[in-house]
Amino acid sequence: MKRAVQSFSALFRRNLKLYFKDPMTFFVSLITPIILLVLFITFLRSNYEQTILRIIGDFTIEKKLLDGFTGGWLFSSVLATSCITVSFCSGVMIVDKINNADTDFLVTPVPRYLLQLSYCLANLVSTLIVCFALLSIGLIYLAIVGFYLTLADVLLVIVDVLLTSAFASMLANLIWSFTRSQGVNSGICTLVSALYGFICGAYMPIASMGEGVQNFTALLPGTYSTVLFRRYFLEGALKEMEGSLPLPLVEGIRDGFDVNFYFFGMEVPMYASYLIVAGAAILMLLLFVLVSILQGRRTRK
Amino acid sequence: MNKVIEITDLHKSYGDKTAVDGLSFSVREGELFAFLGVNGAGKSTTINILVGVLRPDSGSVIVLGHPVADKMAILPSIGIVFQQSVLDKRLSVYDNIYYRALLYGLSRDEFAQNLDFLSSRLELRDILKRPLGKLSGGQRRKVDLVRALIHQPKILILDEPTTGLDPLTRKLVWGLLEDLRKKEKLTVILTTHYMEEASIADYVALIDQGKMVAEGTPIELKERYAGDFLRAYRYQADFLSLLGEQRIEYKKIKQGIEIKFRNTKMAMNFLTKHSDYIEDAEIVKGTMDDVFLCVTGKELSEQ
Repeated sequence: MKRAVQSFSALFRRNLKLYFKDPMTFFVSLITPIILLVLFITFLRSNYEQTILRIIGDFTIEKKLLDGFTGGWLFSSVLATSCITVSFCSGVMIVDKINNADTDFLVTPVPRYLLQLSYCLANLVSTLIVCFALLSIGLIYLAIVGFYLTLADVLLVIVDVLLTSAFASMLANLIWSFTRSQGVNSGICTLVSALYGFICGAYMPIASMGEGVQNFTALLPGTYSTVLFRRYFLEGALKEMEGSLPLPLVEGIRDGFDVNFYFFGMEVPMYASYLIVAGAAILMLLLFVLVSILQGRRTRK
Repeated sequence: MNKVIEITDLHKSYGDKTAVDGLSFSVREGELFAFLGVNGAGKSTTINILVGVLRPDSGSVIVLGHPVADKMAILPSIGIVFQQSVLDKRLSVYDNIYYRALLYGLSRDEFAQNLDFLSSRLELRDILKRPLGKLSGGQRRKVDLVRALIHQPKILILDEPTTGLDPLTRKLVWGLLEDLRKKEKLTVILTTHYMEEASIADYVALIDQGKMVAEGTPIELKERYAGDFLRAYRYQADFLSLLGEQRIEYKKIKQGIEIKFRNTKMAMNFLTKHSDYIEDAEIVKGTMDDVFLCVTGKELSEQ
């Protein structure tokens, strides 16, 4: 057991060090979502502000509250996608496989599942470091434009970052378990970066999509993670709105901006969203461990 | 000496291509065993099967008394230098070796002691903190060797190890391996297409298209397949006419002529018989290249 812990620790530290040894890797991982946030703020913020103003009609709303709400919505979009895309684009496992560096570990007396888990944990930790750095930047941004989060909201956002990143890391490493191809990896990375934001409702509210697409997104665990981010980034601002706007209007904003989410017409409670995201992460972990053990029993054909 | 590796009737194919075709051989403890063959002959495939990276189609592979499938039993005793370096170019030499040493359960003290010994023998002490990617090809190859030896394996596998090494580094590497063989009874398995490296082996297996085409000590192989060469550097003017009359084939070399004989005795008899004609000559054994050419019809030096 002590030997297994020592081996796992060595592999984990090596994987993490390898990722952060190149400062550009961390920088690019962080700068990409920041650029996305800047683009969102530049091009989309006024659209969402107009949408809210249209919903409230003749009622008025404080500028700071409006900015705090739209800022929270845009930043929750970026954070929801980053937890996934950073995982998929920062894997040491696939880089090792492409370079054949994993062969050097396969000829050591370390069970394959330990090697695979070390890749997965390093991927998760590197994703969390990038996402927490991003979260800090986002909270600073919200503090400037309008901050309506409670401490509990921030802590629950952190829990959601942990769960979503864990799900993404398990899924990414599970996929990499079956390929050694640079082309396949680039394809997956591009596909996830381009698609995920749309299909999990991060780039545009799910409520504004067609019914078929809404039903499809309801089947993806990532959607529930996005909904959780929406909830904790926006609920404070919505509560504040309840002081100056009629409740049906605020409820309309909740529905229109995915703070309330419906599964085939039924409202999904928050605990259910947590269970779905946590369940998906646990399912991925079990699948990943199972595949690693099975692959460890078989040498390459 | 005990047999540390026993391979019997090993087969491995990739689709229609047969990489290893009924290979059988054994390696004894402390032996320097050379696998000689052109690229694509099946050497690396055999090595990858030996360390459990590839699965054989059929045949038996026993390493240190354990079937090769029992990887956890055999891998602590094996060190391998791959054909291409697989270490992390962004990490320092020290980190590369340290993280891998921990995988064999080495304590910090054992690691420090082994690293100190190996880095001083291979003159790497001054570059331990440097990133691997900043080192020369020769330095990287030495680091590969340290990584393979850091856990004091019983068997060291070198897959084309000295490709691109300068003569001084080659001497350092072989000096260390010779000492480890003597003192620690380290068994070294070498795949190479360098004749010079195969010549220093205790036992050589010639492999071609996945099949063992010849095996034996370098001397045995040379005697069996390469013959002896009489090289005459100074001789009487009518010596060449004499060779022509007797229909003895010869080849012009840089400073004279070369005549091939089946063995040393025949070469010596010829020299004694024609000593009046020959003023300066030597009898040399054929090289492993000649052996390989004779057995396979292929030139190793073309590789």
